[in-house]
Amino acid sequence: MSRKKEVSISAALAAATCSLLGTGIPTAVDAQEEPTWDFNTSLLYYGEDENRVQEFSLKSIISRMFADDRVLTFGLTIDGLTGATPSGAIPLDTVQTITNASGNSVYTVPAGELPLDEEFKDTRVAITANWQQPVGESSQMNWGFSASKEFDYLHLGLNGRFAKDFNKRNTTVSAGFAISSDENDPIGGTPVGLSSVLDVGDLSNRGGSEDKDIVDFVVGVSQVMTRNLVMQANYSYSNESGYLSNPFKILSVVDGTTGDTVGRVPAPGGGPTHEFLFENRPDDRSRHSVYTQAKYYMNGNVLDASYRYMTDDWEIDSHTVDLRYRWPVGNDKYFEPHLRFYTQTEAEFYRLSITGGAPLPLYASSDYRLGNFDAITAGAKYGWKTRNQNDMSVRVELYQQSGSVPNGQIIGNQAGRDNYPDLNALIVQFSYRFKK
Amino acid sequence: MRTFLAMGILLVCSGCTSMGIEPWERDVLAKDEMQLTTDALEAATDDHIYFSKEASSGGRGFGGGGCGCN
Amino acid sequence: MGSPCELLCEASSARDAEKLATLVAAEAWRIEEKLSRYIDGNIIHQINSADGKPVEVDGETAQLLDFAETLYSMSDAAFDITSGVLRRAWTFDGSDNIPAAKDIEVLLTLVGWDKVDWQSPQLTMPVAMEIDLGGIGKEYAVDRAVGMLRSVGDTPCLVNFGGDLAVTGPPQLRNAWTVGIEAADLSGAAILIELRHGALATSGDVRRFLLKDGVRYGHVIDPRTGWPVEEAASSITVAADTCTQAGMLSTLAMLKGAIAEQFLDSQSEQYWCRR
Repeated sequence: MSRKKEVSISAALAAATCSLLGTGIPTAVDAQEEPTWDFNTSLLYYGEDENRVQEFSLKSIISRMFADDRVLTFGLTIDGLTGATPSGAIPLDTVQTITNASGNSVYTVPAGELPLDEEFKDTRVAITANWQQPVGESSQMNWGFSASKEFDYLHLGLNGRFAKDFNKRNTTVSAGFAISSDENDPIGGTPVGLSSVLDVGDLSNRGGSEDKDIVDFVVGVSQVMTRNLVMQANYSYSNESGYLSNPFKILSVVDGTTGDTVGRVPAPGGGPTHEFLFENRPDDRSRHSVYTQAKYYMNGNVLDASYRYMTDDWEIDSHTVDLRYRWPVGNDKYFEPHLRFYTQTEAEFYRLSITGGAPLPLYASSDYRLGNFDAITAGAKYGWKTRNQNDMSVRVELYQQSGSVPNGQIIGNQAGRDNYPDLNALIVQFSYRFKK
Repeated sequence: MRTFLAMGILLVCSGCTSMGIEPWERDVLAKDEMQLTTDALEAATDDHIYFSKEASSGGRGFGGGGCGCN
Repeated sequence: MGSPCELLCEASSARDAEKLATLVAAEAWRIEEKLSRYIDGNIIHQINSADGKPVEVDGETAQLLDFAETLYSMSDAAFDITSGVLRRAWTFDGSDNIPAAKDIEVLLTLVGWDKVDWQSPQLTMPVAMEIDLGGIGKEYAVDRAVGMLRSVGDTPCLVNFGGDLAVTGPPQLRNAWTVGIEAADLSGAAILIELRHGALATSGDVRRFLLKDGVRYGHVIDPRTGWPVEEAASSITVAADTCTQAGMLSTLAMLKGAIAEQFLDSQSEQYWCRR
């Protein structure tokens, strides 16, 4: 008897309240406990044109909030990559055959085409863990761990950060550090820098695995300027030491007059038809960066503008300008166009090719990523809230790099060719975030 | 270049102690879209893409670690 | 009201905010003056000093008495506005002063809505009995204030009378109003609730209790026994469409003692129960 009565109490109470207040049926209550879990996941597609790199990446960041603003965060990333990248050799008017990275076979480059190294497939898994907690009334600290593994590469890292608020929380000063220990273990072994690309099966110029250690420091300040404007500025210093070369990148050895790659007779079992050398980068690199960002609220729209300047002791200087503008659409959707400009100057040891017969430089690389180029990213993101008030978004971007070889480096027939591998990539990312 | 940077940093710092708003004026800054990093996933993804395709990296802070892609 | 009252609103100017605050304060004081036990001459005082004679009440009081009667039968006499006299025996100050059973028995003879003759608009109560609308008054005032705020405009507002609160609607500058529920021990972390529509009311009080021989006596008294409800939770917060509903459900749940959670589970309201 009482069970049946209990079930109808809510309804009877609603009716009695209605009579008492006389205001008709009220809006249904909407109360939720602040979430303790936050799941943020995305699926990314990155694809370069001309049969170059394609990547699918699944990324997830999971946070668990505890009382008193303590947060534990785990991150997991799984990348699947396929495709080919420019090997660093120059295109020729004739066919070229080059020994592959593992040294166990060759691949052929059609005449007139930019030599891309052999198609590869790789999977990378990365994990991060981070603990955040307040320290006293106005400070916060973060401790983190990171690790990643690919077929031939291992990374392990630790990081920490401390931040303190001042001036009624209008100013925050922070300092952080990160240390990494990475290991490069390519199949076939790491090649001796500036040694020749040898015939198939000849691994005489290969060593074992090589290490790289990285130390980063960042100090920063963020400042609330007005009710609608917040800015931040960071200075960071980074030092890498150890094996910094890319074991797969090569340079063409060319004739000092024609600029064409010097020919060679490959061994009967297979080998390169031209002369190539493995690249060699210094075993130390120090970088300084200055980064500044502003977020400005204008009548519901938000402008996010940032600038970063980087300079290092490889003589690379870069400037990055990043602009985002968020336009709300109705109450629960937004549209956000994005524009990014990037420019860098080449490394001091960047060269298009090595001249045969001349004395070898100490360091040399024709990796386009150390070259002189401008890049532009243009895209837009569209976000909306699902029925359950969770966030979804999709963004599409185009990334384009176009570079040039310093004039003094172009020799003979190289002048007529498109020497610098331009990059055109499509980025599509879909994200879903829910809290509970 | 270096003096310009130093001046820039000093300029930001010198204004710090006198600038700001009262705690009850923080409504706009509390919005998700006004956080310095609004979308951590997108920021981490971009950091990784540009780390593998360019010679510069980071700036905002540091992310989850390296890879063999550079 | 016996507790701090506040109005949170996203008005477009200080003047507008003041206008709304004045409106809400006026209504709160009006209800306080009308229903308070402590104010001479108001309807409650007239009823409580009627000495057995019939009293004619106004429309609003009649509605409140009707409501109290419905709750009395809905709760099997656990909710009873005539039970106020029992406070003479109990003082919840954290000490171990448990009253004698004899004292409670005497007071129990003065408790019982069934002894009251209520034929709207006339109320006739036996001599020495009292009514106390404290269990309904605050939540009713919150709902009245919200109703008035809605009728004069659409400014998002939150009305909070001593922890019993309701909103006119979601705020514009944020996703929701954030309300904290105290932890059972005062040093613990609060639970944070994001409220967009509706109301929250809390029954019980982590501070008011008696402690004797290791047994904690909460301050909610069962009118049927004269004793604090056995195994009562220290506080129960309920979310409902109106503050009145939230308040009544949390009170009814508190009166259920050990099975408060089961009772609330069988209703469809969200609740947070601290023991």
